This record gives sequence, structure tokens and C-alpha cells, in this order.
Amino acid sequence: MKERSCSSAVLIILAALWSVSAQADWALNMTEGVTEVSRSIYSLHMQIFWICVVIAIAVFSVMFWSIIHHRKSVGAKAEQFHENTTVELIWTIVPVLILVAMAVPATTTLIEMYDTSDSDVDIQVTGYQWKWQYQYLGEDLSFFSNLSTNPDEINNKVEKNKNYLLEVDEPLVVPIGKKIRFLVTSNDVIHSWWVPAFAVKRDAIPGFINESWTRIDEVGTYRGQCAELCGKDHGFMPIVVQAVTDEDYALWLTEKKASIAAEVAAAARVWSLEELMVRGEQVYQKNCAACHQVGGQGISPMFPALKASAIATQAEQRDAHIKIVLEGRAGTAMQAYGAQLSAVELAAVITYERNAWGNDTGDIITPQSIQSMLKSK
Amino acid sequence: MNIWKVFKAVFSAFIGVQSEKNRLEDFQANSPIPFILVGILMVLIFIFSLVYLVNFMVYLM
Ligand code: HEC
Ligand SMILES: [Cu+2]
Repeated sequence: MKERSCSSAVLIILAALWSVSAQADWALNMTEGVTEVSRSIYSLHMQIFWICVVIAIAVFSVMFWSIIHHRKSVGAKAEQFHENTTVELIWTIVPVLILVAMAVPATTTLIEMYDTSDSDVDIQVTGYQWKWQYQYLGEDLSFFSNLSTNPDEINNKVEKNKNYLLEVDEPLVVPIGKKIRFLVTSNDVIHSWWVPAFAVKRDAIPGFINESWTRIDEVGTYRGQCAELCGKDHGFMPIVVQAVTDEDYALWLTEKKASIAAEVAAAARVWSLEELMVRGEQVYQKNCAACHQVGGQGISPMFPALKASAIATQAEQRDAHIKIVLEGRAGTAMQAYGAQLSAVELAAVITYERNAWGNDTGDIITPQSIQSMLKSK
Repeated sequence: MNIWKVFKAVFSAFIGVQSEKNRLEDFQANSPIPFILVGILMVLIFIFSLVYLVNFMVYLM
């Protein structure tokens, strides 16, 4: 009687679990993804999961059966023997066979994952504190991808949107159905480039290039994150990949290159203080505010204030100011922006720093002067 | 002590299954040196067969 109620309780629990899982999307599982590799990883995961379930049920059934049927209260006597080589061999060989059976498909997938040969598109991915740079090799195209989430959402002033902290200004755009090779590296600390839908996660290590690849089946927007703790804004350097058709990709390439060319051309014209301030504020929010803060007050003692600072207000420090923005400071979080921003952006952001937050120097830094400083280096 | 028995003893140690009778017999040996040498040899064989297996798999794919 007792035994019956016990096993029926177990049955009820199992049935409950089953009906919940039958109601589908618990969203506890990993994603199946949109590539052949991601799907084979998913199916490996499920196969091995079910093997584990079967083993667990078998082992625990035998164990509980033994405990219950050979209990002391019904007069069971412990067997006193030392060894049983046959049984020991069986419990050694059977797991080995199971492991080998799992290793065969796992190895096949792993070899597939590491085979970066014969790629159609090569993209170098570089991690920065805290953004990603994408360089299309052989295309003369390179840009940075920054978090674009509204700071008010981050500071709980307004409702968070559904892609909160998973949105960027310039997504990586790639064609579907093509083998895309990623060469992943870092400019400063270790990051990790991770897009679950492609089952791609590669560490970005300064001085090393790690390779990975994907071939995306479906048009869509896929999101990921930095997966290696990399400092203050580790959670604020997401990855957004837009997979598009071949034609759209070609179109995007042309447009993107044209807009970069337009940016270069814009350096030649005359910019007014107002124009530079508007542009400079955008550049500052995107590239500098993470450390020096929106109000320019910095975070003492890590990130110096620019508001009312000597370097951003004194006339004789003007060149030093331009220099540190262009060249950064080795060994600190201050990067060399000369290699990251266009001449217009650099001129705008430095002008902005010298005039915002009551710095009011009235200085105009022209894109031409930035260009000549970059050249003279 | 014949060499076949040494191999058997080392192999048993590798997989972790040995009968008490054989174990006692092994410990009758005069010197541990053959066991150590065979042990090192078999470790090398194990490592190189893994290396070979991996290379072979990569070659197959
Ligand atoms: C990752 C954090 C970080 C970001 C982003 C950053 N900086 Fe800095 N910045 C620093 C640190 C740290 C220093 C101090 C370096 C040192 O120790 O000399 C610094 C120093 C400076 C200084 C010199 C301050 C002084 O008083 O000497 C200027 C000017 C400056 N940054 C401008 C910028 C501009 C412009 C941007 C955006 C284009 C920017 N920074 C983005 C971290 C950052
Ligand atoms: Cu990172």
C-alpha cells in the first residue's frame, strides 16, 4: 500500500513535468540557431541530454530498487565479497562505449566548426573597451559598432525597449548563404565575440587572431554580447548582425563606402562652431561619455573630468588636448581616437569638449588642422 | 615473471580493474623496474595513438 502511493506520487510529478514541457516554449533551452553548425550543436546537446536521462533513470531505478528490496527491516543480509572482475569490466567498458558513441558526432561537428577554409567573406572583428570594430578584408571598409541604447533607459528614467542593451548604431551586415570567416582579436583586454544564433563564440585576445566562421540560412537580425568580462561596460558592447540577401549586401557595401567617402570629403569644407558642436555632442555621447560621463565630470579617480579641466580650457593646452585624443595614452583606458574617428568627428568632439559644460573657450578645431596633425605623425 | 604478465598488470592499472589474486601475484616480483618501464611505454603508446587518431580524423574529413 505504502509503496503504491509512493510510486503514484512519482508518476504524478513526472506527468506534471511532461505536460509542462509539452506546452512547449519554456525558453530554458539553448537556441537552435540559424546555421547548420548551430543546429548540429543543438541536436548533439539534445542527444546527449537524453542519453544522460536514460542513464540516470536506469542507475537510480536499480539503486532505489536495491535499497528498498534489500532493506534490513525485511531481513536482508549484506553479501560479504571483495571483488567481481566481470562486473567491474562491464561497468568500465559500457561507459567507454557510450562515450565513444557520443564522441563520434561531437568530433564531426567540432572539426566542421574549426574548418575556416574556403571562405567567401572575411571580416576582422576587434574588441575594444567597449565596442566592436568590423573590418571587411579586401573591401577597404572598416567601422565601429557602438551601443545605441538611450541612456535614459539605462538610468531607469524611461521604459526599456525589448532590445535593451542589445542594439547598436552600426550593425555588422553580412550576406546569407555565404561562408563568412571571422578573425577575432582585441585592441586592449580579452573580450569574446558571441552570437548564439550562429553558435559562434570566440575569445578576442590582444596579439592573437582566433578564427571562426558561419553560414547563415535566413535573413534576419541576430544579437549577441561580449562574453568575457572586460571591465566597466562589459555589458554595454552588444553585437548586432544583419543577415541580408546577396543583392542587399552589395547595395549596402556601395552605400556604406559612399557614406565613408562623403565623410572624408566633408573634412575639406568649412564648419561653423554650431555645426561642430551638434556633431561633437553626438560623437561625445557615443564614444566618450562611457568614461568621461555625459556632463564631462568624469568618474574620479579613474576617468578625469573634462569639464573645467585645464586641458580643455587653457589656450596653451590646446595642442596637448588634440594630441591625447588622437594618440590616446598608452597603458590607460584612453584610446587613440585618431585611428577610430574621422577627421570631422575628431574636430567636432574636441571643439565640443572645449565649449560644452561651461568650458566656453570659443575655440574651433577644424577638420583640416586634425588632418595635418594626423599626417605629421 | 614473464613480460606478458607485466603488460597485463599495467593494462589493468590503466583501466582500474584488477583481481586481488593477480595483484598479489604481481607484488611477488623481485623488482618494480619492468612495471615502470612498461608503464612509461604504454603511456607513450596511448598518447601517440590519440595523436594519430586525431590526425586521421582530420584527414578523413
Ligand atoms: C574607456 C574609457 C575612456 C573613453 C571611452 C575615453 N577616455 Fe579620455 N581618458 C580616459 C582616461 C583613463 C584618461 C586619463 C589618462 C591618463 O591617465 O593620463 C583620459 C584622458 C583624457 C583626456 C585628458 C584629460 C586630462 O585632464 O589630462 C582627454 C582630453 C580625453 N580623455 C578625451 C577623450 C575623448 C574626446 C574621448 C572620446 C572620443 C575619450 N576621452 C574617451 C578614459 C577614456
Ligand atoms: Cu568585452
